Amino acid sequence: MSELNRVVIPIGPQHPSLKEPGCFTVTLEGEKIVDAVVGIGYNHRGIEKACESRNYTQVVYLLERICGICSHTHTTAFCQGVEELAGVEIPKRAAYIRVLVAEIERLHSHLLWLGVAAHEIGFDTMFMYTWRDREAVLDILAEIGGNRVNYAINTIGGVRRDIDDSLKQDILKMTDALEEQVKYYRELALTETTLAARLAGIGKLSREDALKYGAVGPVIRASGVDFDIRTVDPYAVYGEIPFKVITDTHADIFGRTVVRVLELLESIEIVRFCIKNMPDGDIVAKVPRRIPAGEVISRTEAPRGEDIHYIRSNGTEIPDRVRVRAPSEANWHAMRHMLLGQYLADVPITIAAIDPCFSCTDRAVIVKSGRETEFMDWAQLRQYSIEWYKKKGIDVTSIKMPERRRYF
Amino acid sequence: MSNEEAIIQRLVEKFDILKDRLHFQRSKRIFSDFLTREEFETVLPYVRDEMGFNRASHVVGTDEGEDLGFIYLLTNDDGVILALKEKAPKSNPKIKALTGDYPSLEFHERELVGLFGAEVEGLPAGPPYPLPDGWPEGNYPLRKEWNPEYFDNRTMSYNPPVEAEEKEAEQSE
Repeated sequence: MSELNRVVIPIGPQHPSLKEPGCFTVTLEGEKIVDAVVGIGYNHRGIEKACESRNYTQVVYLLERICGICSHTHTTAFCQGVEELAGVEIPKRAAYIRVLVAEIERLHSHLLWLGVAAHEIGFDTMFMYTWRDREAVLDILAEIGGNRVNYAINTIGGVRRDIDDSLKQDILKMTDALEEQVKYYRELALTETTLAARLAGIGKLSREDALKYGAVGPVIRASGVDFDIRTVDPYAVYGEIPFKVITDTHADIFGRTVVRVLELLESIEIVRFCIKNMPDGDIVAKVPRRIPAGEVISRTEAPRGEDIHYIRSNGTEIPDRVRVRAPSEANWHAMRHMLLGQYLADVPITIAAIDPCFSCTDRAVIVKSGRETEFMDWAQLRQYSIEWYKKKGIDVTSIKMPERRRYF
Repeated sequence: MSNEEAIIQRLVEKFDILKDRLHFQRSKRIFSDFLTREEFETVLPYVRDEMGFNRASHVVGTDEGEDLGFIYLLTNDDGVILALKEKAPKSNPKIKALTGDYPSLEFHERELVGLFGAEVEGLPAGPPYPLPDGWPEGNYPLRKEWNPEYFDNRTMSYNPPVEAEEKEAEQSE
């Protein structure tokens, strides 16, 4: 086919597979993609510049808002970097709580991805199932930190909230129930033929290309590279925790799905280990307001992969430079490569398969009047939707719905 | 001798210019001092091809007063990060694009162009990143002298206050 027959299609910035703006301009020959240009940056908020005019404690709150999904990983990377500059060792209990919350965050993030991916391929039943289960995880996060997404657990020198015995029991109940569900997803991922037929061979990324394009997280692990910061450069108490780095050799979206599902089971085990082995003691150490001059590179394994923070102090209470290399930023390069040679119809799932970051910070709120607000619980929300449909002439009350599973 | 110290020793033996300019900060972290463009380009091929630092995680731009700093975070298979630093004067901020050898740096190098005003020679054509369309030329927000308070979002213009001396000069005219 000659170059004259090529068609250029801009997909985005309002996008079929993302709730966050990104523009992917693909050049097609027939249905096949021969070139792709990734246009991102629509959400650039100048956070790094803002860090240079705020003190270290304020920066923690700012960085927590980089991402609505993995907010904890950014504050962990920043806080441990500043602690290293200040020469402060945080209490063991605080390190355990950091890991515990990080793994619960991974649970909710991977469940979210499973739902999004299922939705992209038209498997909405799985989308509903995984997001229902994710609610239980978010409920636990809300119980730990008071909020579903920005839990604000980290502070420089440790953590802000302790975990008591009753909360530990709630977390264990949640993990027990969730494990049962995840085992079902594992069976589904490994044996459901439609899933394999739709995902296998799509978004191919060889081991060599994954390394060359600097892919991170489940994307590189699904290409057969056991690169996980939790073992490569252990932080907090990961060095003490036995767990397996999940890899897969399919090197496609099917592989990425398997890796994430199996990582859910590993995370559940890490959560249990943390609860069992968490020592007593303080949860925060004292850190001076002025941080000694120096520079540091801090790394964490976010749900999406390696998160790097470069922090430079000039000896004052305001950082001189903060640079955040979030994992999605690393995966764009590989994703462009994955799109080449694909069919147009595979674009949404290929993009979604790197799990690019988008925010999920809304709660169902009904406004009663100009001033008063009221939160709706699950039953109220269901009743509201039944009424809404009734007004449209559809009665859904005859459909039997199981009671929502309460995990705690 | 640790793995990191062995890396430093090997590099210093190979390049005299690196003597006392590589620092073993802690496990998995080696920092260099700022190198000139010539020094950086002498060291880099050896580090990449002979020392196994075949992955580039990132390049951090910094403002060093009269100069711009570029900190390349290179990683080997053991997960050791070598932060190799290059410096170029703000008056002539030219550096060589490394996207050919490290394709993972493309967006990060574009960022150096947009946010710091670096001239990255050999960077393939592509959309600017991350600043929006219509961003005024010559405005590099991550340089220390750029103050967000003087930027008007609606008109997309940067309006710093006129210096007192300049004001007087204008009035006398």
